[in-house]
Amino acid sequence: MADPSARTGPWAIEADGLSKKYRRGWALRDCSFRLPAGRICALVGPNGAGKSTFLGITTRLLRPTAGTVKLFGVPVSDPAVLERVAFLAQDKPLYPRFTVAETLRLGRELNPRWDQAVAERIVRSGDVPLGARIGTLSGGQRTRVAFALAFGKRPALLLLDEPMSDLDPLARHELSGLLMAEAAEHGTTVLMSSHMLAEMEEMCDYLLVLAEGRLRMAGATDVLVPSHTLVTGKAVGGAVPEELQGRHTIVESHVTGRQFSALIRTDGPLSDSWDAGWEALSPSLEEVLLAYLRSPGAPTLIADEARTTDQQETAA
Amino acid sequence: MSDTTSATTDTAPRETASRKTGPRATGRGLLHGTAWVVYRRHRTALLACVLITAAACAVYAYQRIGVLDFVHAKGATPDSKGELLEEFQSTFHAMFTRDIALLQYVPVLIGVFLGAPLIAAEQERGTLRLVTTQSVSRGRWLATTLALPLAVTAVCVTALSVTFQWLWTPVHQLEDFGDWLSSGPFDVTGPVPVARTLFLTACGIALGMLLKRVVPAMAATFVLWFVTGELWSRLRPRLGTPHSVTYPYNGDGPHLPPASVRFDDWVATADGRLYGFGTCVHADEAACRAKLGIVNRVTQYFDFGQMAGMQWRGAGILLALTAVVLAFVVWQARRRPL
Repeated sequence: MADPSARTGPWAIEADGLSKKYRRGWALRDCSFRLPAGRICALVGPNGAGKSTFLGITTRLLRPTAGTVKLFGVPVSDPAVLERVAFLAQDKPLYPRFTVAETLRLGRELNPRWDQAVAERIVRSGDVPLGARIGTLSGGQRTRVAFALAFGKRPALLLLDEPMSDLDPLARHELSGLLMAEAAEHGTTVLMSSHMLAEMEEMCDYLLVLAEGRLRMAGATDVLVPSHTLVTGKAVGGAVPEELQGRHTIVESHVTGRQFSALIRTDGPLSDSWDAGWEALSPSLEEVLLAYLRSPGAPTLIADEARTTDQQETAA
Repeated sequence: MSDTTSATTDTAPRETASRKTGPRATGRGLLHGTAWVVYRRHRTALLACVLITAAACAVYAYQRIGVLDFVHAKGATPDSKGELLEEFQSTFHAMFTRDIALLQYVPVLIGVFLGAPLIAAEQERGTLRLVTTQSVSRGRWLATTLALPLAVTAVCVTALSVTFQWLWTPVHQLEDFGDWLSSGPFDVTGPVPVARTLFLTACGIALGMLLKRVVPAMAATFVLWFVTGELWSRLRPRLGTPHSVTYPYNGDGPHLPPASVRFDDWVATADGRLYGFGTCVHADEAACRAKLGIVNRVTQYFDFGQMAGMQWRGAGILLALTAVVLAFVVWQARRRPL
């Protein structure tokens, strides 16, 4: 009751029934989740899943058709959220005729919380000359300047739309390291969309999966991944054994000859596994993600922590 | 009263504290915030505007020396035989034609090269997403983006207009035989060039915003210049009410005041009924005229004193349209995204 920011403080993003309709149809439909502050969150989904639409809404570039998003308790309809959020678009738009120093000055002129030292450190650590024009920089250097602009703003939440997609492996490695180090140092919450699942696994501790505009999975990776098991064994009548189907949720299954393999969400212990001739393995994050992305019919999984329920809101 | 303030300014201390920590004081120069960004972004175009204006004004000032020498030596009032007119034309007409032509192109140059890309380039390159996701609101960014280039444009074109008027006014009775309406001076002096430039620039901004691409927006602005130029030349004579002078059909005349612009000619009956100039010019002229009772000729003209009023009326219409177009741009920019 005392301070409204204390209650909403731990949530960097709270989306409630978020929907966006374009002329061609729904790009985002009824997304509700919340992201705790301080997490590095991956936003995963196939092309056209609604990732960029979601990022556009949270950065006030798009207006949602329905629903609301709050960033640190402030609704995005309030221009004040801009100060707390930095956004790095996929193509990293910068003015090509500005020099690096002028690009940083742009950040300083347009942001009251600007931290020139942080921005300059990021630029200098990549040996990007301050006097060079943006148009003459390489892709990696441009991305570094864009990162400097984003971190110089000292955002509480950093949104990145496929930040590494156009970089060579070396630059990607270097900038991933930079991103992780800066985020850790300032306690920045990061939400980044990406196709590079293996890379996401290393960097992220939280996961949002979108497919066809709907939220398929949300939660911390150390909660989501262990709740799945990869089971292989002898198929019964050309299908996954009844016992598995009845007791657990099958996300994806294949039957090849007499063998089956299935990724299941375990709703209890996998009993009698030795007797039944099954083999259970722990899947990697990538395997879980691929299974969900390949099977649109699989049930949605939202971890308790990521759930926005009215009960939780009012109780707190 | 004190407890209401403490309740409403809940977040204020944090806000001001964070503002103070920003190293704002390190900024140099006159321009700050969005104004600096907009200036830096259009630096080349704006400096070119200022330099070209300064150069053109210097040239007009230099030309004025020669023009005044002529006036001091020979006077500025045309004589009855028209010898002075002929002499002035052969000496200065080419120069004035060049000056006027340059000024006639000012609106389209600024409209196409500054107006059309103003927002279209930001949309095309995606930098709109860069500036609108910084901490300043979209409305403030838009206001500066529109205000700064339009203000520089207005100042530059006003300087050009005033300087050219300073050059032309002493010899307005001589240059192009005193025709101020259709040969150019009407469009390049007083408030008219400023209003035309602002109007075309605003249209270029709006077209760029709708088309979202620089080159199509520039082409569309260029086409619009032709269309509005045609409409403007039709509007020009309607901005004032012409005077009339009546004189006998076969008599001497018309005797118009100096620097008047002859607008239309008629033939008329004794009681003032007007017929077209081409009435009864075929065979049997006298009988035809006698039948209709045509005894007079009528000439309609604008005198020099009407020029300023007509210019302000025209500029007022253009500036009102400019305001409408800019209001549309602001409305459009605020309507779509948040």
